[in-house]
Amino acid sequence: MVNSILDPTGGAAKASENAVLASPRATLRGATVGLLENTKQNAALFLDEVGRLLTDEYGVAAVVARTKTAFALPVPDALLDELATSCDAVITGVGDCGSCSASAVADGVAFERRGIPAAVVCSDAFAVTADTMAELKGAAGYRYTTTAHPVAVLTPGQVRERARQALPDIVAVLTGGVA
Amino acid sequence: MSPDPDVAQEAIEYCYERDWTDGLPVVPASRPRVDAFLATTGRAPGEVIGRSEQFDRECTVEQAAISAVMAGCLPEYFPVVLAAWEALMRDRAARGGGWQSTSGPAPLLVVNGPVRAELGFNCGGGVFGPGFRPNATVARAIGLIVRNAFGIRPGVLEQATQGLPGRWSICLGENEEESPWAPLATEAGQPPDTSAVSAMLLRTCEFVDNRHTQDPEQILHDFADTISRTGSLIFRDTSVGVVFSPEHAQLLAKAGYDRADVQAWFLEHCGRTRADLRRAGKDGVGENGVRHAGEPGGPGDEEFERFLPSTRHVPVLVAGSRNAAMSMVVRVFGVWSGEAVPVGGAR
Repeated sequence: MVNSILDPTGGAAKASENAVLASPRATLRGATVGLLENTKQNAALFLDEVGRLLTDEYGVAAVVARTKTAFALPVPDALLDELATSCDAVITGVGDCGSCSASAVADGVAFERRGIPAAVVCSDAFAVTADTMAELKGAAGYRYTTTAHPVAVLTPGQVRERARQALPDIVAVLTGGVA
Repeated sequence: MSPDPDVAQEAIEYCYERDWTDGLPVVPASRPRVDAFLATTGRAPGEVIGRSEQFDRECTVEQAAISAVMAGCLPEYFPVVLAAWEALMRDRAARGGGWQSTSGPAPLLVVNGPVRAELGFNCGGGVFGPGFRPNATVARAIGLIVRNAFGIRPGVLEQATQGLPGRWSICLGENEEESPWAPLATEAGQPPDTSAVSAMLLRTCEFVDNRHTQDPEQILHDFADTISRTGSLIFRDTSVGVVFSPEHAQLLAKAGYDRADVQAWFLEHCGRTRADLRRAGKDGVGENGVRHAGEPGGPGDEEFERFLPSTRHVPVLVAGSRNAAMSMVVRVFGVWSGEAVPVGGAR
């Protein structure tokens, strides 16, 4: 009898959840928006500025700023629950490292599956790993917002400018193009 | 008559085609071979020994055995692979995003106890280098587990900017016979003469060659200079270990330094002045603990900032040949768990 060569991977990847993200888009006017920063350098400032712009220019009523301390790992269930129940939309990032870019996308998909529109912000240097995570989560082609690499070394003024530049795409992701 | 090399080639290429290798040929794993590995442990093949939360992937004892076969291990090495894996699973960075990191860290595996001689782990000359099957293949097995069980592949879910030489190949036997100090595993709380594996992740290794003085303080200062480089500082604090050669360790011991004394000396003397840190743009520390260029008007230029906060941040062990006074500074990614996992006794 001839032996076959054994597969070290544990077999095919598990079948993912429903592939389509069908959460309704948000209306920003009067909305409460969650800002989930991941402790990466300049992430909090970036999201703060996005929150401020959304409030000033799109009529967002309130922001809920939270921190994910373990940036490489999925957002903890309690935090996911809190933001999903208290917010109309969530913005998370900045995916600016090997692990946190992937996990930011995973978090975005998790919020979408809870019916909450989510905009994920990643540095453009991490598109491959972000896209791969989306595929693993059964959301191939998941749309996220990119900002040019690098982010960590920017001055506060430059970070605010980046937030301004990313704003139209974040709004488009959250609203489906109808702000 | 030799085995058929064409069949071997075909089997090797089969593994390449499925993207199972680290770039070098692997040993194709057959059922009987994997069963021989599984026979060395009392643990069930289906037992989960590692979980990647972010990718929803698991590693079972059997998957680890397949990777160990592929890495070129002998069956009797498998309990060491399991202990090494368990030791890594106690490392916070390895459980988190370490394998995906732009830093591309390399596990440093340290083997203590009788298993070193029983299996032929190199503890002496060329201990960081190639040439010894147990050292080379146990370290490689870990890499194949990460790649194949967790699905973390370079350039995709692994985002190392440059990586570093030695990833999946650094497995040292401690030179207990020529060390003046207790084995690392004993330091980590295991009874003497326990076969055990300790693990930490490294950013890089850098040698200190000091065959120039017998003065222990001068030697320690030479180490402190290498340990205290600004280039590797990212956070407020850092972690840097030393793999002493027997000659350096014995010289220090003869001068009255035990391991704790050496560690205490490093805690006190490793650091940089504020002016040095400012010159490198690392004198400020943000709320997230990350260093950055500070605001003008901070504390004085001459203020000395220490950045090794505890002895666990400066692990010390002994390996290599006694033929020269050169040692290795190892830059730790995160911080060592401080634990050693007994071979054959892992949970």
